Amino acid sequence: MKDFLLALICSMAITLIIAVNHSAAGQAEGKGIYDSKKCGDCHLTAGPNTDKTFAWLKNPKPIRQMEYNSIEKKNSGNHSKLSDKEAGDVTAYLMTLKSKDVAEGVIIDGKPNIQGKLVFEKKQCCYGCHSYPKSGKVSGGLSAPSLVDAGKRLQGDWIYAYLKNPKSLIPVKRMPTYAGILNDNDMKNVAQYVTTFK
Amino acid sequence: MIKRIIVVTLVLFLVTMFGISKSLAASAEENYKWYCSQCHGLKGDGKGINATPDQPVNPKNHTDAKEMAKLSTSDVENVIRDGGAATSKSTMMPPWGKSMTDAEIKELVPYLSKLCNCKFK
Ligand code: HEC
Ligand code: HEC
Ligand code: HEC
Repeated sequence: MKDFLLALICSMAITLIIAVNHSAAGQAEGKGIYDSKKCGDCHLTAGPNTDKTFAWLKNPKPIRQMEYNSIEKKNSGNHSKLSDKEAGDVTAYLMTLKSKDVAEGVIIDGKPNIQGKLVFEKKQCCYGCHSYPKSGKVSGGLSAPSLVDAGKRLQGDWIYAYLKNPKSLIPVKRMPTYAGILNDNDMKNVAQYVTTFK
Repeated sequence: MIKRIIVVTLVLFLVTMFGISKSLAASAEENYKWYCSQCHGLKGDGKGINATPDQPVNPKNHTDAKEMAKLSTSDVENVIRDGGAATSKSTMMPPWGKSMTDAEIKELVPYLSKLCNCKFK
């Protein structure tokens, strides 16, 4: 029952979605590992990103300070860890997955964006809940996933899609819905700005 | 295989039900604990986990009767709906108008009034 609840809670949450379609060796093995390790018990679909995902799966450093959906319990950092081979295969498999909710090629990752910085720090205070790198120091709130190395982990296209239509990617969350509050350009700019965090 | 399909269907069903009940029937207390406590604290004392030393402003202490009584009912509704900018405060107070219904926002007013043990103007 406890496992079931955990699966339920997690499946509401970490929607792992990939915007890149591309085939690589190890896909079938990757799917096998994904199924046999029961990644799908917690994840709705499969996980954001490319080589970035590979690095994380080998060394899954906590992204959230707190446990998933909790503001009371610390993240114990016990995410399953994969070997090089497994991480490579799973990443290859994850990269074949696509979401109809994520449009590709809208955001250029890693490109500086001053307007996006203004949205993040002034117009809205995204740092109220997210920690991020501010003049070389980690600054900000703890209730949300850390964005400190978001540029190594998330794609701009995914972030923009998440701001535009959050429920399609993460059905239940503590973050305010900004669609209808920020305009389209603000959402694009701030998505791009977040991909510069490395 | 069949067992898996059943489990998956059940999980999806429960997730959907949870989603629906969350958006239709969440009480003021549930909404406060879910959305507001991350900054204002579970007790409303302004000491949520996001109130870190490096934040430029502190989340309002909702149990401070003297401070809270300076607000009017419409100030409180507006600041929840449109964020800090609505009462010329810091935008670190986020806008919740697209996250909760108008009715849910209005229901938070008496809940806040209970927390501060005070009346709004
Ligand atoms: C018990 C539930 C659970 C299982 C099983 C699980 N995960 Fe996760 N996964 C999580 C949670 C919770 C996080 C967020 C971790 C954090 O915030 O520190 C996460 C994060 C991730 C991320 C990083 C997402 C990001 O935002 O960058 C990837 C990739 C991932 N998981 C892939 C997998 C793979 C592959 C498997 C199977 C080998 C797996 N997970 C099994 C719960 C789970
Ligand atoms: C009130 C707190 C809060 C504020 C303010 C906030 N967020 Fe979030 N954000 C969250 C939480 C909580 C999550 C995790 C959602 C989940 O996985 O359940 C999240 C998730 C995200 C993610 C996905 C991160 C990941 O690794 O999966 C991005 C990107 C993001 N937020 C960007 C923003 C931007 C941009 C802003 C400002 C316009 C912002 N957030 C403001 C709480 C907040
Ligand atoms: C990201 C953190 C954060 C979250 C989440 C948050 N607040 Fe706030 N809130 C603040 C901060 C910071 C202030 C103080 C702003 C200032 O003094 O400039 C504030 C101020 C307020 C005020 C006083 C406004 C005034 O004019 O003095 C009220 C009322 C309030 N918040 C209600 C809420 C409610 C209700 C929720 C949940 C729906 C909520 N807040 C969620 C950070 C937050």
